[in-house]
Amino acid sequence: MADPRRITDVELERALRDLGPRYPYPPTPNLASPVRLRITARPAAQPRRLELWRDPRRLALVAAVLLVLLGAAALANPVTRDAIAHFFHVQGVIVNREASPLPSLSPVTPLDLGRRTTMADAQSRVTFTIAVPAELGEPDAVYVVSGIPGGEVALAYTPRPGIPLVKQTGLGLLVTEFRGDLNTGFITKGVGEGTTVEEVKVHGDLGWWIAGEPHMIYVQVAGKGQVESLRMAANTLIWEHAGVTYRIESGLSKADAFRIAASLP
Amino acid sequence: MEGRPLDDIALVERAKNGDVNAYEALVQQYQQLAFRVAYQVTGDAADAEDAAQEAFVNAYYALGRFRAGAPFRPWLCRIVANEARNRRTSARRRTVLAERALVAHPSGDSAQSPEAVAEADEFRSTLVATLKTLREDDRLILAYRLFFDLSEAEMAEALDCPRGTVKSRLSRALARLRAALPADIRVPSRAGETDG
Repeated sequence: MADPRRITDVELERALRDLGPRYPYPPTPNLASPVRLRITARPAAQPRRLELWRDPRRLALVAAVLLVLLGAAALANPVTRDAIAHFFHVQGVIVNREASPLPSLSPVTPLDLGRRTTMADAQSRVTFTIAVPAELGEPDAVYVVSGIPGGEVALAYTPRPGIPLVKQTGLGLLVTEFRGDLNTGFITKGVGEGTTVEEVKVHGDLGWWIAGEPHMIYVQVAGKGQVESLRMAANTLIWEHAGVTYRIESGLSKADAFRIAASLP
Repeated sequence: MEGRPLDDIALVERAKNGDVNAYEALVQQYQQLAFRVAYQVTGDAADAEDAAQEAFVNAYYALGRFRAGAPFRPWLCRIVANEARNRRTSARRRTVLAERALVAHPSGDSAQSPEAVAEADEFRSTLVATLKTLREDDRLILAYRLFFDLSEAEMAEALDCPRGTVKSRLSRALARLRAALPADIRVPSRAGETDG
């Protein structure tokens, strides 16, 4: 039974030792994955704070990033990789259905589309023929990324009548093209509850229409698991043809996005 | 929770040379300790997670300044505590009464009578609540010694103070805790029993 006498220092020390393993700590979160992501995402020589992680909803982000890492691990296995590519039919892209709510990133995260250049220069730096949607004509800006196998090009169109502003990109419409056959797992899309993913056909090639609430997009350097960028994306039509993966991101309806896709040569 | 110092030394050396896998192994080994140290300071899970994550990232970039062969654990504790202090103010606003929470029961408690368990629970809850009222440096030094079992040398490193002052600081923190406890607190027979 209880002893009403005053507690001594020795008793108190013993009581604290006894309390240690029972202390009501919240469950320890997984820190290894986000820490690994952060230290691989920026070189040690130039430490700088990644503002993304200041977001108060980072728990969801950690969950999302973990899925990316799991996806990357699956892709390291050739059998799994082929199975994923076969199942989704679009090489270079993985779509993850996220179990937890997506974090709210800054509405306009820098797009990190690569180096701005001319169409002629971009064409000389990629190993496929750049397709420009006839419906829209020449883009307002052309970007090229040379660091990935086969290269990547982005065609940016500013808002105009019929092409509304997309707050996630600050643009009207964005067309991205890269060699999906050489860049398995290059893009990962984290899709939350309010986003629909529909398998579609574009020019007879299988693809996806991802619409509804903005989803997350991670762009990775193939083979290194390095996250190049992470941002929210708008409605996206994505498909693959002859080894090239095409992505149209806009605020357009499915019918309008398909019309633009159909105008690609 | 803790790894063997020799393993730590090898992992730290590999991490210093850019081996991310080695650093990840250190994070896995010490994430519970880091999170709990941060939680002792902030009292808020989200802030503690934020602080622990930030501390691991900062520690990685500071590895170049880490003395070869030195123990990793207290060095990490110091970085975690500093990060956690930066987040403490906002945390304090949010959680004042959250600590009269249920205290976990190791299986050994089942041998006690329900009355004894309830009495021990009440005592521990009071201890937790009273610890929360202490100055952060008192709470941290008590946790380092009695919860996380740091040696005096490790505590001196973690607290960034001379080794000779650790004992007296610990003693003063204990005295302040004792003084802060309710005057009529009852020591349950099991928690307060003596060796004799």
